Formats: sequence, structure tokens, C-alpha cells
Amino acid sequence: MKVALFVPCYVDQFYPQVAIATLQLLAKLGVPATYPPAQTCCGQPLANSGCEHEALPIYQHFVATFKDYDYTVVPSGSCVYHVQKHFDKLDQTPDVQHVRATTIDLIDFITQVLGVQELPGTFPHKVGLHLSCHGQRGLHQANESELTPVRDGRLRRLLASLDGIELTELDRNDECCGFGGTFCVSEAAISGRMGHDRAHDHLRNGTEVLTGGDMSCLMHLQGIVRRQQLPMRVLHAAEILNSTLTTS
Amino acid sequence: MNPTRERILAAARASQPTETVLPTIPDFGGDASLTRFSEVLASIGGTVVRLPSRAALAGTVAELFPAARVVASPLLATAHPIDQQTPIDVLADVDLAVLPGAFGVAENGAVWLPEPSMLHRALPTVTQHLALVLDHRQLVATMHQAYARLPDGPGGYGLFIAGPSKTADIEQSLVIGAHGARSLVVLLY
Amino acid sequence: MSYLTHAGRAEAFVLDHERTSWHDETLWFVRQKRDRAVYAVPEFQELRELASQIKNHTLSRLDHYLAQFEAAALANGVQVHWAADAAEHNDLVLRIVRQHGATRVVKSKSMLTEECHLNPHLLAHGIEVIDTDLGERIIQLRDEPPSHLVLPAIHLKKEDVGETFHRHLGTAQGLTDPQQLAEAARQHLRPKFLAGEVALTGVNFAIAETGSVVVCTNEGNADLGVSLAPVHIASMGIEKLLPRLQDLGVFTRLLARSATGQPVTTYTAHYTKPAPGREMHVIIVDNGRTQQLGRPDFRASLKCIRCGACMNTCPVYRRSGGHSYDFTVPGPIGSILSPNIDLKKHSTLPFASTLCGSCTDVCPVKIDIHTQLYKWRQIVAEANHLPTAKKLGLKFMGRLLASPAAFKLSGQLARRGLRLLPHALSHHPGANAWAIARELPEPPKQSFRDWYAQQPSPTA
Repeated sequence: MKVALFVPCYVDQFYPQVAIATLQLLAKLGVPATYPPAQTCCGQPLANSGCEHEALPIYQHFVATFKDYDYTVVPSGSCVYHVQKHFDKLDQTPDVQHVRATTIDLIDFITQVLGVQELPGTFPHKVGLHLSCHGQRGLHQANESELTPVRDGRLRRLLASLDGIELTELDRNDECCGFGGTFCVSEAAISGRMGHDRAHDHLRNGTEVLTGGDMSCLMHLQGIVRRQQLPMRVLHAAEILNSTLTTS
Repeated sequence: MNPTRERILAAARASQPTETVLPTIPDFGGDASLTRFSEVLASIGGTVVRLPSRAALAGTVAELFPAARVVASPLLATAHPIDQQTPIDVLADVDLAVLPGAFGVAENGAVWLPEPSMLHRALPTVTQHLALVLDHRQLVATMHQAYARLPDGPGGYGLFIAGPSKTADIEQSLVIGAHGARSLVVLLY
Repeated sequence: MSYLTHAGRAEAFVLDHERTSWHDETLWFVRQKRDRAVYAVPEFQELRELASQIKNHTLSRLDHYLAQFEAAALANGVQVHWAADAAEHNDLVLRIVRQHGATRVVKSKSMLTEECHLNPHLLAHGIEVIDTDLGERIIQLRDEPPSHLVLPAIHLKKEDVGETFHRHLGTAQGLTDPQQLAEAARQHLRPKFLAGEVALTGVNFAIAETGSVVVCTNEGNADLGVSLAPVHIASMGIEKLLPRLQDLGVFTRLLARSATGQPVTTYTAHYTKPAPGREMHVIIVDNGRTQQLGRPDFRASLKCIRCGACMNTCPVYRRSGGHSYDFTVPGPIGSILSPNIDLKKHSTLPFASTLCGSCTDVCPVKIDIHTQLYKWRQIVAEANHLPTAKKLGLKFMGRLLASPAAFKLSGQLARRGLRLLPHALSHHPGANAWAIARELPEPPKQSFRDWYAQQPSPTA
């Protein structure tokens, strides 16, 4: 299996440890992934801003970079959702169709492709899982409270399998954190307020470590946690899972 | 020939998408029990009172509404006469209307009240208090079955009434008794 | 920040931290009531799918159902009128009112009449029009537009209502008990009902098969008004049609549960024939709807049954309030209906969203709201209505993100800049909107790609 790693732009520049953790975690699970250095971006920031047309060259570059891999794994539900849903604007050549079908979120790759549902390891902390909207409602990685009161999901199960972990029960299970891409600056006031409320939902309910599958949400929440000096650490799920798994 | 009508219909014809299928609506079954109907009605602010017999109606009404001066009803001999021609100032004075419901809907506590049972169309909402008399065997589970009981249509005017009038327009505080009846009792025989 | 944009108005709203919390919690409470009602109906998702299909079908044969409805209504002795736009609608209402020499009109809730700005038109012609829905009456007395489809006064606290009633209804100063305020409203409005000469209503559903119009209320104000006044005028958008009476089985099970979490509204009225000696009129209104129908990406927005679930669930609506949308219908559904009416004026509404998708999940007729928001953004950008700074920034970004070399360089510069700049500068709220509420991430010494390039030969 030839697997590539796609690293979202902000992770590459500001959270390299998340990409390193992803690479190491995959290796420990028996999947040595390659990082094609020609990669840039999935184009979502432009497309969500209305400039889908301007994003087409970026989409084409993405397809060209990853077309020869069996899977392109991404530690971000958001980018994957964009590739799967919005690359329909390209001519659907075999390469485009292949890339759309095989660009996959890290957690989905672990649970759905590798079939790994639990991990050995200890993480004795109160962990607050933040469900990213694109991952949950877009990629159906977790149950939506709009449809059912049952709390379940792929990352939730993986985390729950760790020894000693305690998952926070939030007041609002899956309200958006307010990042929303360029929304975070174009509607800065609402974005800040939404992030504040999310962070405090975690605080109220005992979260010590805030985690999730999307660094964009976590970057926004971490920004608020640090500004308000809240007693919480923010870690991408790849970092947690990688840290508990020793090299086999 | 109304030009606006023609323009709107032509615009619709030109703009509408390719025809899609109109689905068949299944009967979802459900709980049509008196227990279910009663508990739902209670949860929406209504009351269920069981009549020992149909004949006990007058006595029960007198017991439940001792203060009612003007009572309108096709079911009570002593009622104040009301019909479609009754003037507004008389209607406005009605304390209690006791009307025959056709059937009840257990999923939401609603009772179907067709026009012929109303005496005057305004009676169900202008009255201060409303009592609906219902045969306990005339209960259906859901609105699907309710509409299936109206094969000839809803008549000139017909109401599903589910509980007393209410509003939560002031800071989401539920207030029972908005503009329609302040209370609703379903008298079951 | 300009008050002409959603962001500007939202910023003003959110300045009051406590009041925003209150508004947000109140609407979240309504969302939770909806959830409980939905969880209790095992077939709820199936009902949504049925409702969506019924509406899709109806919109695909709209001309047929409009004609069928009209024929049935006419046969019932109902007078049917057609209005291409708001002005025609308002003139028709005025004409009917004048034909009867009437000056006292009572109106139950109708977002369509709000959309047409009917009240000011009637008032300008000396007609008294009283909104009888309690929430609508409150905002009428305050001369404000509604801030929500179903809960028009949701932005007001009981103190606000108490003050309004004190000023206009003579209730005691400082009275805030909702029960007593509602009683005062009942006493105040009852004589209006009794004296009403023309009753205006909206239409929740129009049944093509029977020619009936269905009106759902909790207060009974539609029925009270209609049954006492000699003339009934029901205003409906063309999209309110349903083919069959049995379709109501689906919609009456979805509407109230989605809107307020109730199993059904207190009153579900079916008006089919006028009472003997009285008149019933139906005004069928287009006002931009056939235009929306002609847009393949956006026509599904016409399935809307005006339940308001999308705005209850929207985290942005809850924290910015309905007035921040500056359109008759606010929230997510308003943001996909309004650009059809005025793309420029409402150009910021499709961007007043994080595209979280919650609205799509709660919509009882499965409108793909968040997808339509995304698509309207493309149209706004194409029509050149993006703010200039954003436009230029994005064009630049496009070139950068397509080029690996430029991308790498810009990343290096960003990190280095962040490390070198003093905090006060890099986080200056005037220059950096991110920094208003957040710290920027700590800039690492190496990007991932730099780290990767330094690793021993990649595991193959």
C-alpha cells in the first residue's frame, strides 16, 4: 500500500508536531507514509470565500501531487471533506476521481481502512473531544445530536479504548467552535464569542486536554485558551494516539 | 383572463425542474391507546375526565364548571342557543362551550372538530373555556390516520384542537390561555 | 465595521456579553425542545425524507398544482387573486378592504405580509391593522420588525415587554410577570377581534386537491379573527402548495416538532369554504419565487415550511440576533432566500456562517442549506460584491497556494515575522482581527516540510 501524507498548510507552518505525530503513528501501525514535498493546499480557504474558480489550479496541483498513491492520509477532516465534496468542479478524469475517493482523514484511515478500533496504551487524563463540523456532519465520523442523543463516533471509540482516559460530557455535544476559515476574521466578533463559549463548555465540564481531529478548530480554540490562560492543554488526536503507542 | 395569473403560471412552467415522483405515504402504525392520548393531552395543558356514562354529561359539566353562566352546547338541553347567525356580543359572552369531538389523535392530544359540531365558527375560540366530548373508542395514533378519516375532505371549516390556547412569546415562558380558550377539557365516554 | 454588513451588526450585538448569552441560551433551549420531540418519533427521519420528496414533486409540477388549487377554491366559493409582487399584493388587499368600506383589520402571523410591507401600506391609507399574534403585537407596538420566523419577539426580555405594555396598554410600571402581561394582551386584543371587519391570515399549507388553506397557531388568533370578521383574506406564496390532504399527515407531524418541540400546534385550522353570507379571498403571490424556482442550485430553498429550526440551531444566529440579517426572514434560510431578491444588499449573508451544516441536519424538508450558502458565495464573488480588500487578498492567495516554491517561502516569512515581531504589534487588534480574542500560535523554528527534508531516507 503506497500511502502519502497531506499536511494542511497551517499544520505545516505552525503545528509541525501534529504532522510528525501523524507520520510516526502511521509507521507504528505498519504504514510507512511518504510526504510529497510539492504539495501546497487543498484550496478550501479560497473556495469558501467564493473564489472557487481561482482555486481550480490549486485543485489540479493537489491531484497531480497525489494521483499515484493508494491513499492520501490527512490529519484534518476539513481538507478531506473539501477534496471529496468540492473537487467535483474539476473535470472528472480517472486521476481526479481516484484522488477524491482515496483522500482520507487520519482517523477514518485508521478505523475504516486499517480496521483498528482500539489502541493499547494509557492516557490517564480528562479529555474533551471537540467534534469538527466537517468531520462529524461532513464525513459522518460521529453521531449528530440533531439526529440522536447517542454519543458515538470513530475518534471517540479510539480514545475511549485508551486506559485511564475519561471523556468529557459537554453541555453542547457538537456546537461549532466558530473557526469557519476566513469567517474567523471576517466575522471576528461572532467567531471569538463562539470559541469562547466552546472553551468554557469544556472548562465547566472538567476538560484537561482538549483534542480533536482538525487542527483548524484546535488552533482557534487554543488561541482562546492561551489568551484567557485557561487550565487546559490542546493536542491534536494524532499527538495523543502517537504518544501512547510505543514502537512495536 | 388575468394577465398576472398567466404570467405567474408561465414563469412557473418555464422555471420548474423535471418532474419527480410523489411518494406514497406509509401508515406508520403507532399507539392509539387512551393512556397515550391522556398523557400527551396532560403534557400540553389539557385535562381528561372520564364520564361514567354519556348520560352523566350534564352533571359532570355542572360539577367541573360551577361558575359558568353562559354555556353553549348542542349536547345540553339547558344550553344557551347559538347558531351561525348569533350576534357577536352574545358569542363574546360565552363562558363555556361543550362540543362533540369527532375523534382524537394520541400522538399529540388533538381532537378533530368539524364545522357542524361548532354551532358557530367562532365558538371554539371565542369561548373562555372549552370542553370536547369524545367517544374513547374514536382514537387514532397519528395524523396520517387522522387525515385518512377525512376521505371527503375537511368540510367548509374544521379544526384540530390540541389543548388550551397558549403562548411562549414572552421570554419563552409558557402561558396557558392566549386568545382562544383558557382551558380545554376532554370529556370521554 | 460597517453597519451595512451582517458582521457589523453582529459585532454590535455581541458587545453585550450577558445579553448575548441570554439570547443564545434561550434559542438553544428551543433547539433542545426540538431534539426531545424528534428523538421521541422513531420514524422522524423517514418523515423528513417524505416531506422533502413531496415538496420536490410539488415544485416540479407547480403550474399544475396552482391551477388545481385555484379551480377547487373557486368551486368552493372562494375568490382567488394573483399578485406578481409585493406592490400588487398590497393593492389587492387594500382594494378588498375598501370594497367593504372597512377600516379595522386584524392580522394573524404572516411572514409574507411582512415581506410585502403590507402594514405601512394599509396605515398610509387610513386602515387600522392590528397584529394579533402576541409576539407580533409586541413588536408592532415597538415599531420593530420580527427577529425570528416563529418567535418574533425572542430578542426581547420580559422587562422590555413590560415597559412596552406600560406605555401602550397601561399596565403597571415594572410588571414583568409573563402570565399577567399575556392576560393584559388578551384583554386588550379581545375587543379588536370582536370589532374586526377584515381578517388577514397567512397560509402554512395550501391543499391543491381540496382548495383548502391550512393555518397553524398556538394562540387561536387566526381562528378568532377569521370567524368573527365578515371577510377573510389569506395571503400565500406560490410555494405553500401541497398536492393532497393526506400530505398534511406528514407536515403536521414535522412542523411544530421542528419549530418549538411541541407535537402539534394548538390549532390546525382548515379553511375551505367561507361561512354563508361571508367572503373568503386567497391571494397567490410570486414576489421573486418563480425566479428562485428557475435557479437549479437554489430552488430547493422554496421547500421551506417556515419552522425556524435552522435559526434555532445556528450558532451564528443565536449570537447575532435576527435583526443583524436585515431581511424579513433571518438566519440560515434567510441567507439563501435573500440573495435572490437583492444580491448586493444581502451579499454578506451567505458569509455569516461557518458552514457547520447543523441547519441542514434540522431542516424538516431537507433543504441543503449549508451547500446553498457555499454556492451563493461563488455568485457573490463572481458578481464582484466581495469587499475589495478580501478580493485582492484572495487573488494573491490563489497564486501563492498553487506554487510550491511561493508557498514554502511565504510560510517561512510568516513564521519568522511572527517570531521577530513584538507581541504588541503582531497581536494588535486593529491590524490583526485574529488577535482580538485569540493568541496567535507559537511559531515553530521549523516547518514540517523542513523537518521532513532533514530526516534520514524516508521509509519506503
